[in-house]
Amino acid sequence: MEQRLANTWRMTVNEKKFIETALHSDLRIDGRRPFDYRELTVKFGREDGSSEVQLGLTHVMGFVSSQLVQPYRDRPNEGTLSVYTEFSPMADPSFEAGRPTESAVELGRVIDRGLRESRAVDTESLCVVSGKFVWSIRIDLHILDNGGNLVDAANIAALAALLTFRRPECSLGGEDGQEVIVHPPEVREPLPLIIHHLPVAVTFAFIGDENMVVIDPTHFEEGIMGGRLTATLNANGDLCAIQKAGGDGVMQSVIMQCLRIASVKAADITAKIRKAVDSYNTERALSKIRRQPASVAVQVTEPNQIEVKELISKHKEKLMLKSEEGGASHSDDMEIEAQSSEQDKSRRRDSTSKSFVGGPLSWDPYSKGVDFEELQASIASRVKVAPVEKLEKSRSDEPYKGESPKLLADSSTSLLSDEKAATGLQIEKEKTLKDAVKPKHKRKKKASTNTDAS
Amino acid sequence: MEIDRGDGRKPNQLRPVACSRGILNRAHGSASWSQGETKVLAAVYGPKAGTKKNENPEKACFEVIWKPKTGQIGKPEKECEMILKRTLQSICLLNVHPNTTTSIIIQVVNDDGGLLPCAINVACAALVDAGIPLKHLAVAICCSLAKNGRVLLDPNKSEEQNMKGFVYLAFPNSIQSVLPEGSLQVGGEPVEHGIITSVTHGAMSVDDYLLCLQRGRAACEKLSVFIRSSLK
Repeated sequence: MEQRLANTWRMTVNEKKFIETALHSDLRIDGRRPFDYRELTVKFGREDGSSEVQLGLTHVMGFVSSQLVQPYRDRPNEGTLSVYTEFSPMADPSFEAGRPTESAVELGRVIDRGLRESRAVDTESLCVVSGKFVWSIRIDLHILDNGGNLVDAANIAALAALLTFRRPECSLGGEDGQEVIVHPPEVREPLPLIIHHLPVAVTFAFIGDENMVVIDPTHFEEGIMGGRLTATLNANGDLCAIQKAGGDGVMQSVIMQCLRIASVKAADITAKIRKAVDSYNTERALSKIRRQPASVAVQVTEPNQIEVKELISKHKEKLMLKSEEGGASHSDDMEIEAQSSEQDKSRRRDSTSKSFVGGPLSWDPYSKGVDFEELQASIASRVKVAPVEKLEKSRSDEPYKGESPKLLADSSTSLLSDEKAATGLQIEKEKTLKDAVKPKHKRKKKASTNTDAS
Repeated sequence: MEIDRGDGRKPNQLRPVACSRGILNRAHGSASWSQGETKVLAAVYGPKAGTKKNENPEKACFEVIWKPKTGQIGKPEKECEMILKRTLQSICLLNVHPNTTTSIIIQVVNDDGGLLPCAINVACAALVDAGIPLKHLAVAICCSLAKNGRVLLDPNKSEEQNMKGFVYLAFPNSIQSVLPEGSLQVGGEPVEHGIITSVTHGAMSVDDYLLCLQRGRAACEKLSVFIRSSLK
């Protein structure tokens, strides 16, 4: 018992007075103003659904995983979402392993409430067989470093992980059509979760007696604060949850002011999260192409082999360089690649093509099939090259993400993927273009309904 | 007989290793170690006052907490904690800070094979970052025995599952040439060039095991050169 007391960290009276006095002149100990957030960095791990968030000195990791389970009896056609928070003893000397403390439980509950009750994650789309099989989404949040304001950081980590998570595709099969077959990611492209909006948590700390409010407290400020308010809102201005558990009494006007500031900050944070997720998705789409080279090289026969291998190694190098450099230099690399792929495509049009066995199966059946035929049609009739490519560009956005198309990134990825497929294509007749048109329209409508911007 | 490893490595080639220290702010020492796709994070707090109940108060005590990526802590995690604790106890100077507890927390970020060796390496790096006095470092490696008798170093998860057996080995960090050792299971008085830890999975013949030891020791020498340079 004594050892635990000896090891706890306590604020000294001097530190307390210093922070309070500085706040009187609107200064915080790390140089911020009362309503400034610390620097936020969102990074992603190798797998889908793993995120790492740094908010100033606070470090949180989020992992999302899914499992097929039986649904709750009273909600037979909804999936489930559960949030597990681990206050790792890594984060703070006062955190202990074992049973979660009150603050750990509170943090988990606040994040859970923000996601579940505001219906941010669409649980009905997680149902596979009503009453028997639904997807259960599990979010594990690991707090690595406690620099203050764990709720906000953990919330952002959960959102980022949910946005990049892909669940395996499954279909019904078996004799009675009741068996669920889960397709591994190599066979069928895993699907993203449907997320309607992003509830962002914004935390305020009330320090001292004169209604001094600060946003995003550091752990020093948390040590001396009298009360705390966490407001969860989304970028549309909807208030998802408020948590003010005890602490000092605060005037109504102060609370209203806090909420107004929170809605501004929430929009800001949502934009940052979306930007990070988008650049991750682009990188992911590019690395998907890199997955193909093994099968392509093996099946293509002599005349194309050397060209293919050259191109593959070139792409591999570029992709590896890119993954090292990170998002910043993306656009430059892609432009270079787009140009080189243009040349290669024209080269390949002249060579005789063999039948391509393995490729289409491992791609998303819809998109590649359509792009395939578009390309073949463009080969057959060179006159139509320019408009066809434009069509490809606009349509190819859908397979990778159902969001508003980003021109250069997506067009180049589609070009790259097309020419990989082109290495073994058969030249078909004009009519395939018309066949391709119908599915294209259908998919465009489906994709546009899915993109509920938030 | 050449073996085709999934990622194109030769049988004696290790995965690319990356090590960084001082990544966390609250912890007294922290480190991250990644070998290929396997990535582990460690934080060290200590020495803190007091020892645990059944520990010897005349020596320093270690507490290892292993946090898996997802899921509850179960028996495999407890086993890893115990192995790591005994390994670290044998490399640290226990008499410098008697009646204290040093906590090491390991967080698994990604598991792609060779998790325990990574954990041992990262724990040593974190202890160095925290300034805990050590006799020498423990350098750990995984050697696996393929079905056709070849020894492959540092397998990833898919390779591990197809192996006849594999062994996690930890050696002291020593650049001098190695004398024939007195081999030790965990704990005990460490001979300078001995094996600190050896954990095997799967069945293998004694000759194969000795071959693995040989390869492992050679690999650890290379690895210890890397560690020395990265810890400067």
